[in-house]
Amino acid sequence: MATLTINGTSHTVDVAPDTPLLWVIREHLQLTGTKFGCGQALCGACTVHLDGNAIRSCQTPVSQATGKRITTIEGLSPEGKHPLQVAWIAEQVPQCGYCQSGQIMQAAALLAKTPHPTDEQIVQAMQGNICRCATYLRIKRAIKRAAQGV
Amino acid sequence: MTTEFSRRDFLKTSAAGAGFLLTFRIAGPNGGLDASAAGAWEPNVAFTIDPSGIVTVHITKAEMGQGVGTALAQIVAEELEADWKDVRIDYPTSDPKYGLMITGGSWSVNWTFDALSRAGAGARQLLVQAAAKSMGVDPAECVAENSHVRHLPTGRNLSYGDIVSKGLVSATLSDEELKKIQLKKPSEYKIVGRWIQRLDIPEKTNGRAKYGIDRFLPGMVYAKVAYPPVRTGCTHKGVDDSAAKQVKGYIRTVVTDDLVAVVADSYENAVKARDALKVTWDLGPNANVSTESIMKTYGDKAKNDTSAPSWVDVGDVNEAFKRAIKVHEAAYWTDYVGHAPMEPMNCVARFQDGVFDFFSGSQFQTRVMGDLSKKFGVDATKIRVHQQYLGGGFGRRLEPDVILEAGIIAKEVGKPVKLIRSREEDVKLDFYRSCTLQLVKGGLDSAGAVIAWQNALVAAYPSDRYGGTDKQGRDQFSLNGSDHYYDIPNQFVRAIRGETGMEVGYVRAVAPNYTFFAVETFVDELAHLAGVDPLSFRLQMLGGAPRLAGVLKLVADKAGWDRRGSLPKGVGLGIAGVTAQEKASPTWTATVLQARVDSSTGHVKVEKIWCAVDCGLVINPDGVRNQMEGSLLFGMSNALKERATVKNGAIVQSNFHDYQVLRMNEIPDEVNVYVTESREFPTGVGEPGVTTILPALSNAIFAASGARVRTSPYTPDRVMEAIRKA
Repeated sequence: MATLTINGTSHTVDVAPDTPLLWVIREHLQLTGTKFGCGQALCGACTVHLDGNAIRSCQTPVSQATGKRITTIEGLSPEGKHPLQVAWIAEQVPQCGYCQSGQIMQAAALLAKTPHPTDEQIVQAMQGNICRCATYLRIKRAIKRAAQGV
Repeated sequence: MTTEFSRRDFLKTSAAGAGFLLTFRIAGPNGGLDASAAGAWEPNVAFTIDPSGIVTVHITKAEMGQGVGTALAQIVAEELEADWKDVRIDYPTSDPKYGLMITGGSWSVNWTFDALSRAGAGARQLLVQAAAKSMGVDPAECVAENSHVRHLPTGRNLSYGDIVSKGLVSATLSDEELKKIQLKKPSEYKIVGRWIQRLDIPEKTNGRAKYGIDRFLPGMVYAKVAYPPVRTGCTHKGVDDSAAKQVKGYIRTVVTDDLVAVVADSYENAVKARDALKVTWDLGPNANVSTESIMKTYGDKAKNDTSAPSWVDVGDVNEAFKRAIKVHEAAYWTDYVGHAPMEPMNCVARFQDGVFDFFSGSQFQTRVMGDLSKKFGVDATKIRVHQQYLGGGFGRRLEPDVILEAGIIAKEVGKPVKLIRSREEDVKLDFYRSCTLQLVKGGLDSAGAVIAWQNALVAAYPSDRYGGTDKQGRDQFSLNGSDHYYDIPNQFVRAIRGETGMEVGYVRAVAPNYTFFAVETFVDELAHLAGVDPLSFRLQMLGGAPRLAGVLKLVADKAGWDRRGSLPKGVGLGIAGVTAQEKASPTWTATVLQARVDSSTGHVKVEKIWCAVDCGLVINPDGVRNQMEGSLLFGMSNALKERATVKNGAIVQSNFHDYQVLRMNEIPDEVNVYVTESREFPTGVGEPGVTTILPALSNAIFAASGARVRTSPYTPDRVMEAIRKA
């Protein structure tokens, strides 16, 4: 049994302690905005926040997440109006969209610590997140737009 | 040219194999527009208008990031004169009434533009007639605009919602009448050609968009398959599941002729149970296949297989080579390139009351219905594909493999089953673009004109798997693009099937990736041999393709082609023009690329890309731009990084650490896209950009370093080898 606090709500699930947090979030709790991409922390599709830090939930055993504050894309903003989400629509970023929850969560952790990142800081923070549709140009633009508050 | 075998023939051929009728039909089953007095009105299979006036366009093309739903809805709304705020889209479950359900080839807009325009226009005509009758006025005095029919002399009007809710529409239009409808002129367009935000984007920013992997059914269990260690021809001959049975959550083992799998109560338990299975395999005939063995076979075939049919045969190439003053030969190789969609292949399947329901993202529902109805011995209508968003397609989701597996297991288990492949399984079991070899030979006359062109093209044929090759055994999807547009009086392209013992498939832009790599690099080589600027050299031979010449000139102008002599050492510009995806629906695309080559490491940095595209009439300008940006970078990923290799009959790579794709730190400083204004019939933009990159980059590397890289991807070791040879 594991008790997890996700987006401010407490959940108790019957899983082994070595179960990746990703599968608990996605399959047991059906919060499907968090995506499975590689299972090896190579692509960033499964990025969520653990106490405000961006982490790869596919490589985080559920035992390491108990007692911590977990935020998923569903909890980033109750109305989906986080400045990054607004900017993502304004810049028409997504193509297939599958990686974008992870991209947004990664970028949100960046902006929380570095509200006005340089290009280099953006690339440094985002290069672990793969977008196979290669929407990188727009992701960069959207992060800058959100940082500028427009 | 001998490319008479059209894509439609191909589709008919493959569909015949699937026992399934294929016609693209937009009218209803009775050949006309069906009206129903009560509830929503379905003037045809393309869309519905409900009593509140909401127009729902049924998108039978897969949404995999190309924004197809929004574009197709714009086409309908334009002729329907619907107010855009009333327009919605949905993705209906597969049904024979939709005709051929396939998404690929950059075909969607090209194939449906006319039919959807007529569907919208026909419904508009019926709405006007119905409203006029209700108001007791002459329909000739009425206009449709913003989801209303207005009587011009009096200003009286009725909304589409009113017309539908009152059951006023009852007429029908025949196919012939639909064909006669006068469509709008492009100058009258209000919705087509407008920058409209994509309808699928908001839910792709908040986690609500549902992909196949996000579906759940009551009582659902999880399956994992034990995949064979050799990609093809390997079969199981014994299964010991005693250890699997000890795993918590284990439900049962499934063994059929096709597969070995376990079913458990959760994904993670299914993985553990599957890993505990002991399966013995008959490795079959392909257990020794390797990249080296494939390349050796290809090399032999390219030189010696003179019995293979031609794909292009114009003039007399042998005679022309005798006359040529200069002759040049080059060999171009490409490695296996995969799809690697971010969403690993998956499916939720249920078999109940004789009906199979599949929840998955599919690019080819018609093939799923055809293949699986044969497999399970049921009518095609009992195979239902509930379409989901595709977390990347790129051609991977044309294949029904994972849907078939889920169906087999669901039928055995009698419960809904969720099957998710791991990334490792996804990489190992991808249907890669065939590795290819093209031996190209060209001859110049004394004036420097190309008088002879020959290509021995070896590639494996994905269409072989379901009878999609033509009577001469050629697969157009492995050959398109080798039939280029240059005015060369004597040409011969030999189509050589390269069997590999591996599975090959259709990867975004398909053959033109490698055919234009050879064509556009070799043309560059001939230009240098002739001592002519590569742009002028191309333009001299493009009298028959003015639109291709147009985008080449445009992109050269935008990129500052004339400044190429004054670039810093180690920096070069390369150019390439293509007509992907195929001759029947060409999108004229040209790219100039600026690359920096480090001659001490072989590292290549793409600094800037300029791309001009003429896709005819543009439906959604930002949609075109987004596809071009993404496809150009996808091409960069192919050209610089992606390389799968084969050992012991299996793909060696397993995840994104060894099958690497482009990341943000590798993108160019600039990507500039120029979309021409055109009123020509629209073609597609999902793929052409990809195909410009391999040649533009190889030409830029040559300009920067003097080295010709003729094997893709251009990894540092290959660039260094080319530099040493230069």
